[in-house]
Amino acid sequence: MGVFDPLKGFGVTFSTMFKKVVTEQYPEDYRPTAARYHGRHQLNRHPDGLEKCVGCELCAWACPADAIFVEGGDNTEDARFSPGERYGADYQINYLRCIGCGLCIEACPTRSLTMTNFYELADDDRQRLIFTKEDLLAPLLPGMEQPPHAMRLGENEQDYYVNGPELARKAGEVAQ
Amino acid sequence: MTNEVSPLTPVLTKRWLSPRSWTIGTYEQLEGYTALRKALKAHPDQLIQLCKDSGLRGRGGAGFPTGMKWGFIPQGDGKPHYLVINADEGEPGTCKDIPLMMADPHSLVEGIIITSYAIRANFAAIYVRGEALHCIRRLNAAVKEAYAAGYLGKDILGSGFDLDVVVHAGAGAYICGEETALLDSLEGRRGQPRLKPPFPATSGLYESPTVVNNVETIASVPFIVNGGSDWFRTMGRDRSPGPKIYSLSGHVTNPGQYEAPMGTTLRDLLELAGGMKDGIPLKFWTPGGSSTPLFTAEHLDVPLDFEGAAEAGSMLGTTALQIFNETVSVPWAVMKWTEFYKHESCGKCTPCREGTYWLTQILQRMVRGEGTPADIETLLDICDNVLGRSFCALGDGAVSPITSGIKYFKDEFLALCETNAVSTGKHALAGAH
Amino acid sequence: MTVAPEKSAELVVPEGHVKLTIDGLEVVAPKGELLIRTAERLGIVIPRFCDHPLLDPAGACRQCLVEVEMGGRPMPKPQASCTMTVAEGMVVKTQHTSPVADKAQQGVMELLLINHPLDCPICDKGGECPLQNQALAHGRADSRFHETKRTFPKPIPISTQVLLDRERCVLCQRCTRFSSQIAGDPFIELLERGAQQQIGIAQEKPFQSYFSGNTIQICPVGALTSAAYRFRSRPFDLVSTPSVCEHCSSGCAERTDWRRGKVMRKLAGEDPEVNEEWICDKGRFAFRYATAADRLLRPMVRDADSGQLRESSWTEALRVAAEGLAKARDEAGGVGVLAGGRLTVEDAYAYGKFARVALRTNDVDFRARPHSAEELEFLAASVVGTSPESGGVTFRQLESAPAVLCVAFEPEEEAPIVFLRLRKAARKGRTKVFHLGQWTSPAVDKTFGTLLPCVPGGEPAAIEGLFFNSGTAEAFEALSGSGSVILVGERAAEVPGLFSSVLRLAERTGAKAAWIPRRAGERGALDAGVLPNLLPGGRQVTDGTARAEVEQAWGLAAGALSAEPGRDTDAILGAAAAGELGGLLVGGVDPYDLADPELALRAIERAGFVVSLELRPSAVTERADVVLPIAPSTEKSGSYLNWEGRRREFGTTLDGTGALPDCRVLDTLAVEMDADLFTQTPAAARANLERLGATASTRRAEPPAVPAPPAPGAGEDGVLLATWHQLIDNGSLQDEEPNLAGTARTPVARLSAATAEQFGVVAGEQVTVATERGSVTLTAEPADLPDGVVWLPLNSGVSRLRRELGAGHGATVSLRPQARGGNS
Repeated sequence: MGVFDPLKGFGVTFSTMFKKVVTEQYPEDYRPTAARYHGRHQLNRHPDGLEKCVGCELCAWACPADAIFVEGGDNTEDARFSPGERYGADYQINYLRCIGCGLCIEACPTRSLTMTNFYELADDDRQRLIFTKEDLLAPLLPGMEQPPHAMRLGENEQDYYVNGPELARKAGEVAQ
Repeated sequence: MTNEVSPLTPVLTKRWLSPRSWTIGTYEQLEGYTALRKALKAHPDQLIQLCKDSGLRGRGGAGFPTGMKWGFIPQGDGKPHYLVINADEGEPGTCKDIPLMMADPHSLVEGIIITSYAIRANFAAIYVRGEALHCIRRLNAAVKEAYAAGYLGKDILGSGFDLDVVVHAGAGAYICGEETALLDSLEGRRGQPRLKPPFPATSGLYESPTVVNNVETIASVPFIVNGGSDWFRTMGRDRSPGPKIYSLSGHVTNPGQYEAPMGTTLRDLLELAGGMKDGIPLKFWTPGGSSTPLFTAEHLDVPLDFEGAAEAGSMLGTTALQIFNETVSVPWAVMKWTEFYKHESCGKCTPCREGTYWLTQILQRMVRGEGTPADIETLLDICDNVLGRSFCALGDGAVSPITSGIKYFKDEFLALCETNAVSTGKHALAGAH
Repeated sequence: MTVAPEKSAELVVPEGHVKLTIDGLEVVAPKGELLIRTAERLGIVIPRFCDHPLLDPAGACRQCLVEVEMGGRPMPKPQASCTMTVAEGMVVKTQHTSPVADKAQQGVMELLLINHPLDCPICDKGGECPLQNQALAHGRADSRFHETKRTFPKPIPISTQVLLDRERCVLCQRCTRFSSQIAGDPFIELLERGAQQQIGIAQEKPFQSYFSGNTIQICPVGALTSAAYRFRSRPFDLVSTPSVCEHCSSGCAERTDWRRGKVMRKLAGEDPEVNEEWICDKGRFAFRYATAADRLLRPMVRDADSGQLRESSWTEALRVAAEGLAKARDEAGGVGVLAGGRLTVEDAYAYGKFARVALRTNDVDFRARPHSAEELEFLAASVVGTSPESGGVTFRQLESAPAVLCVAFEPEEEAPIVFLRLRKAARKGRTKVFHLGQWTSPAVDKTFGTLLPCVPGGEPAAIEGLFFNSGTAEAFEALSGSGSVILVGERAAEVPGLFSSVLRLAERTGAKAAWIPRRAGERGALDAGVLPNLLPGGRQVTDGTARAEVEQAWGLAAGALSAEPGRDTDAILGAAAAGELGGLLVGGVDPYDLADPELALRAIERAGFVVSLELRPSAVTERADVVLPIAPSTEKSGSYLNWEGRRREFGTTLDGTGALPDCRVLDTLAVEMDADLFTQTPAAARANLERLGATASTRRAEPPAVPAPPAPGAGEDGVLLATWHQLIDNGSLQDEEPNLAGTARTPVARLSAATAEQFGVVAGEQVTVATERGSVTLTAEPADLPDGVVWLPLNSGVSRLRRELGAGHGATVSLRPQARGGNS
């Protein structure tokens, strides 16, 4: 061990004192994430408020952490939650297990499941970290109606899927 | 259709213009039921041999040697044998069996009795297309007359041979012209083709040995019995002997049935029929109904028998010559034919059921002027996926007008796409509207 | 795969075989084998939809096209390998070696997909769909079809449990062929033609088949789906466990699919020796009884103060039970054991051993249904110990038998898989099936059978008549053919003299007799010795050598086992009702299944101390002092013996639910009573049973020799009652299954036209059948019954004969037309 070794060691400390600070003052200073940050999930809706989720469980299958549970249900004449035959009757994401990889949203065939940038997912109760369908569903925007209700935008689910982008644009115009 | 024009060989049609030709009285006056008496004196095997010697080939389209078909019936097997007459004439353009049964039903009945005797059948059924109601009435009347005269029923003419004949009206399905579908329909099932083997010769109607023959084939039998095989072979060509009823329809001056020796060319037939209507030149024609690939003016001299038509790239089929002049659009005609096949596909096998459904839509779109050159490739590829892949020959027949139409008249199909390109300024995406 | 083995030139072709080449590999195949199977044996998979090994070939889908060369000449068209049989010298090229076959298959796949909707994410078949799999393996990446798809309204229910989606259908006809060929219920057919061709049903004639669930399983797309399973889960999230059906005595192999501790569905397992690839709808759909809300999960004891049952700990319940039973045993005349007919072999063994070791009695009987002493003798002499290994009758033998006689046995209702085998055998023309019964039931028609009619109770007389009656000479002669079989059902126990007559007939004709009980556990309980006259392994209670073997194996003092046969179910209940028995240990027994439910209820009430081992509350629970919950078959392992005597072993499907099998509960209870059963687990029970081995005793039980009584008459005013269970009825294992219940046969009262006229009954109108105890009113339907006989289903809808009438097969009942709008 040489005489100057302690000084060498402090060299790192001293030099860091003059560099830009990377520490974030969270939660006082809340910074936005990157635009495509994988945050909390959201179950989207069609422009009339019907759910996009068809309960296909592909997200659950894609999930490498087995964090998602889905069970489908049958839309009936009296209670319609999504266009078409099937909807997600039970939808749960366990954020204790979720690793935010986003494979679920890639698997989603209807773009029902997407991820928001919300990342404040901490709690002291395990039960509360299992998000259910009520927690995950997107809020009702103007022009949307709380399901169950009939298909407002077309005769069948084809109209929703084939003309979806157009419908979405129109709904956007209305909202603005 | 008289004896005046030399190339004609009226055999089957010779009684057609006689007064009340469909009655047993007229028939008997004109050598009717003489062949039967002769045949009943012979041994059944001699009749089968006679038929083999005559070289008679099936007139329903496939041209299978009739004598050989009879010979396949196992004898002494303890099962009942059946003769079924395929009178479900449905091929577009074909109209030979119905006039025959209308004008001369007794020649068919006599042929049935002789054939049944030859194959040792005691029951025969005539499966007639349900739409041909008048024809069914004439047949029923003829069968009734034959029963009354002792030609049908128990102990026919004292020979000890029993035969019952039933006239069965189909419900008008093209597929029931396929022999096994016909048998299923006759048994009261859905008319869909059966798996072969077993062939009808061993397991046909009610799982018993059955001969299924076309009307024209069986109606020829009495003439062969009376005239002998050598006389029969004086007409037609070596491998396709005998006379044949050619049905000319479409743009000819005198459309109708022309009985001529096998191997007559369209050029000769057109002469008999007074040439093309209004002198407008020939554009394309079918040698044997729409299921046989098209011919064009180049093929006027093709000898119309089984070999000749095949060598020229088509088939003799039912010798239904549909003749079209230059005013007709090939894609349009092909579309109409394809619509027919889509309507008539029985649905049993995938290629025919789905293929005709798809082809029809593409052709309709092209005729609307919304096609692209890529559609022509798609059409040909679908045809390739249907041809030889389907369960029965319906699928094969359905694609022949398309493939042959594109083969000879691709320009017309391309021209339709041009309109599309011009009207939209670009090659539109198929189905984008 | 394309490399030919070196020594292929030396392939020996045995008699009846041919040699051919597939994809360059030489192979020897039996004549008549389909190309697609030969290829499969070589490991070459040819895609297919319509082909199914157990159905007649159709050649409809054209997916399996291959190139074939015969005698050196290539055939002009590709051939469907599912319809073409092998031939000597044939050269076959599949999609692996032939561009033509590959193109043909891809073409057909594209055509199949043009009208197929993009439903995969929501389709119940998605993830296990042959069309999906093959589209991925052989299909194009994109579609050239830009036209309009064919659409249909969807889905439409074709019965309460089968939904049809015609858009998804590829028209392979598997379902229609299954229904017409295998099940004989041609309720579904092809309709229309061309692209509009579709599967459908006749108006107001739903798909009421006991086997309709099989069409869902063999559908190669999601066109037929189950109403009960609709959208419940996706196959990739299911765990599949092999299992054995717990309903009837066929012992079908099943696959139980479950997730998160809940059974989602059951599918038919494959077992060529037993159920081939089929199961009945009861086996497939009836499983939610185990998750019913009223399922017993905690032990209960009757509170001494309130007289009500209250939940307790296992420790307390077992202590109370042990004390009560010991007291009843020692001080109150003993304890009888009613085990029930739905036990596994292991559980049944525990009941038998518990009775003998802990309760020191032979008063034990598994027969929770009408029974007789003659039956006991029959079972001991002719049934116990038979198995396929020992030359007993098997499913396969039914298929090859020249003749089968069903006596007091309704195969379609009581053992549906036996029915399928009989139909298969008869359809191939090999087997003549005779039914000794009352009317031409659907099963008689569908097995191409001959009805030998007799009045209920007149079966023995009818059998004796077979020997000399000229009208039945054909049946007698056919049964004399080598390999013929006589099948006897549970109803025979209600007809005195019938078992004896059957054995006499078997002796005279050389036919083998087999007993086909209705419940899954009866045959196993018989071999495990849960009868008053039998110890495990068919050892007779009265046989000293046999007793000594058991005493030694069980570690009992010599002479500990009683040499006196015990009381049967009726006698146990009679004794309890008379106050002669101090206690009852009751397994899964429903008093309303017994010949005299009133007596049973009285007996249970009268018995001083009742311990009930049950899954769900029953009439016994209400009267029990201690209730011990036990595990359903999905939550335990074990084995059933099916009617053949074949062991049908199964493992635990749902592990860790905390539910205990009967053998474990009894073992612990025995420990509380200072006895060791060594049946802590099913495996231990099995090991303990196997240690007993086969008996060295040579004593054989005497077969019953009851003379055949003359055919009974009902007198002037009454009629004779004929009855049997229908497959889908009020049985408690079918609770919670509304979709299944919808396909039950409508209960009707059947009677001959002459009988109807005699009693003034009009077909299609209500008729009341009554005894002193009560009455049942049903719609009258004419049938070819003998005069003076009425047939009612035993336990269907309102027709609950034991509960309402206290009557069974052969009883005399009164008959009267029901005035319209009136009430009895």
